[in-house]
Amino acid sequence: MGCCKPCLTGTILKHPWTASVTIEDELQLCRISAVLKSLSPSILQISISDTGIGSCLEEFQDLNCSSIIAVEFWVGLNLGIVTDCTSLRVVVLYLQNLIFFVCKGIYCSFNYELKLSASNILFLKFLYYSVEQVNIAIELVTEREDIPGSRCENVFLANRSNPGPLSTSNVECLKSGLEDYVLKHGNSLTQKCNTCFATSERLKVGSGIACSTENHKSSGLVLEVVVIISELESKCPCYRECSFKTEVLYFKDFTPCSIPHPTLNVLSTIDWQSYGLTLENVVDQGVCVLEWGDSPSHSQIDMVLHCYHKQYPMHKTQLEQHLIKKAVTAALNNLKETHPGILRSAHALKICSHAPDLARSIAGLILSSNDPDFQGECFSLLGLHSREIGANVVEDCIQEKIVSVIEMNDRKSRQRNVVAPSLFEDDCDQDSNYQDKEYEEGEDEFSYLD
Amino acid sequence: MKFFTDREICYADILPPSEVRARIEVAVLNFLKILTCADPAISDLLLINRKSSNRRVSRGLLTDDDTWIFLSRSFCKRTLMRANAAKAFIRVWKVMEMCFKILLQEKRVTQRELFYKLLCVSPDCFSSQLQVNRTIQDVVSLLRCSRFSLGIMASSRGIVAGRLLEPDKEMVDCSECGSSGYAISGDLNLLDRLVMKTDARYIIIVEKHAIFQRLAEDRVFNHIPVILITARGYPDIATRFLLHRMSRTFPELPIMALVDWNPAGLAILCTFKFGSIGMGLEAYRYACNVKWLGLRGDDLQLIPEESLVSLKPRDLQIAKSLMSSETLQEKHREELALMVQSGKRAEIEALYFHGYDYLGKYIAKKIVQANYI
Repeated sequence: MGCCKPCLTGTILKHPWTASVTIEDELQLCRISAVLKSLSPSILQISISDTGIGSCLEEFQDLNCSSIIAVEFWVGLNLGIVTDCTSLRVVVLYLQNLIFFVCKGIYCSFNYELKLSASNILFLKFLYYSVEQVNIAIELVTEREDIPGSRCENVFLANRSNPGPLSTSNVECLKSGLEDYVLKHGNSLTQKCNTCFATSERLKVGSGIACSTENHKSSGLVLEVVVIISELESKCPCYRECSFKTEVLYFKDFTPCSIPHPTLNVLSTIDWQSYGLTLENVVDQGVCVLEWGDSPSHSQIDMVLHCYHKQYPMHKTQLEQHLIKKAVTAALNNLKETHPGILRSAHALKICSHAPDLARSIAGLILSSNDPDFQGECFSLLGLHSREIGANVVEDCIQEKIVSVIEMNDRKSRQRNVVAPSLFEDDCDQDSNYQDKEYEEGEDEFSYLD
Repeated sequence: MKFFTDREICYADILPPSEVRARIEVAVLNFLKILTCADPAISDLLLINRKSSNRRVSRGLLTDDDTWIFLSRSFCKRTLMRANAAKAFIRVWKVMEMCFKILLQEKRVTQRELFYKLLCVSPDCFSSQLQVNRTIQDVVSLLRCSRFSLGIMASSRGIVAGRLLEPDKEMVDCSECGSSGYAISGDLNLLDRLVMKTDARYIIIVEKHAIFQRLAEDRVFNHIPVILITARGYPDIATRFLLHRMSRTFPELPIMALVDWNPAGLAILCTFKFGSIGMGLEAYRYACNVKWLGLRGDDLQLIPEESLVSLKPRDLQIAKSLMSSETLQEKHREELALMVQSGKRAEIEALYFHGYDYLGKYIAKKIVQANYI
């Protein structure tokens, strides 16, 4: 119902939109709500109100932050609502590095100007931590103002033993957000494109995370990457030359922004070749676009990078460049592992082209033998049971196993040389003369008919 | 007691077809086991290195005459996992498959026939005869069985003439074969079964066909009791095989070589004498004690100055390679050094300066004087 999926996971909103979060304890003694509304693509209105019963300012003077349990939600801002465990009385708002205290009983509202990227994307995510002693109810509502009937409501209960369905990681939210974005062709549609994505299997999703350590100097940096490969239908009106380009979405501390130049540079140094991709150009015109030299036809690659600090408030902003390579390759490897056959390196593709020949030879050897014991043993090793098997079945079975070994090796770290066992094992065990050399042709002075 | 070199030698067995097929079947089973195990992989093929770096020499304990070269336990690898070398890996399996089928049919094919068959079945994998020949050696090296055991016959270029009788159901008298001589079969089994008889006192290896023909036509074996044999250039296995059989059957017959005075001629002599690397797993068996009759340095006085021609770069390459070989005898080394120093070479035909029948006289004189090294 409606187009804005509320944030059990994540969603990406487009102006005009409203979202509200209301938290109430089970005794209905305390209730806090925050309403966010986009007044324009770049102006966001945030209203916090607290309608609980009776309290006074003095109660907050001795507030001990260590006993605070946080309930947070991020709307492209470091917006936090922190309450203490018993009374849901304090709201702490932090926007970037500023911290506002809003005390219970005081209604406040302010406008906040956001610098948004040209694509007008907001990333809404709700993160929830467990509450110690109190059972609370949370209502989350999102709505697109320009689309009637798009309101989406969600109510759930949470406590320590049941933190609720919201304890999803940031990266899961990011995944969900990008999926949504891709399904709607980059938010150009209001709902999922049914021409391309009648079944959700057309999306292949991979994610990767890299962290830097927390210490007294830094609050620890996290970089999350999600990559989605989708197959588009040529008859879809949104189908364009998109398969050769990837627009890289970038979020910094939950805020969409343009990719910093050092990050762009690191992206161009990634070993795309080992995933079968050729990066031809990196374009930076406010929006970062990766242009590919070749790509499997009809396949679209989408990517989002999210860099954020683990702790708030941040003492110092940190640079993420050292994490980028790790996180991006982790995401690509994740894709490869969960969807065998995609992103094969050029090397693996080349080797795979020989697999049919090899399979045919081995199958030919098995099937032409006149020794039934030999054939039986071969079939059993291959997991084929009937004797009445055609050449094609045997060949296909062997080929499939060869290809899977090639892919498995392709996924392994490039630093580690894959050492395969040799066919006759007794050849070289005690041998100090063993040389791992490729055979060079034509070294002998006589290359005669011999 | 096993000599030290015996432990190091790598050789190809001569096996009946059923055993070769069994080895191929073991290869397939090993491949499949490694492919389907818990930690699957595509196994590499380890082949004995057929390069001069892997050449070893076996010297006779008592005399220098029983020297031959062999290949030792140095390996090279054929693997699928390197894109540039993957095709060579595939070729080995293709040839194994073809040989397996040939052996099942109890047939034998020549290398040429095998090439054309492979070209039809797998045109993407094979592009030249040389490539096929090398792949065959890979299979020999992998399975450690002789080429002939794989069902492959190399057509022989060898001919024999002279005082040799092969008294089988069809009596063959090699002195009655005319100038063309009696062709040596490529079928080693057949050669192995030949019954031979001779009243010759010497065996002469002739490098070139033209010289062989001249000697056969002049019936030089009626004047001197010799058997003439030629491989018409570089010695093929069948010719070497037959020569070796003759040396075993008639051990008292010295074997002499009549080659051009150039590094290539000496190289041919050395191949008969010591064996070769290219087929190093098999050739060591057929090494014979061969002496150098002519053409030699002290014969140069017999030929006119004009018949001495400059050594080509290829000659010098061969000379260098021979020089570095530890098997080369002292006196042969001196001859080679003389060639290189003078920068000249000479062909046997230069002796025709004295008339076409001079060659026979020359040979006879040298033999009588025991003028061979």
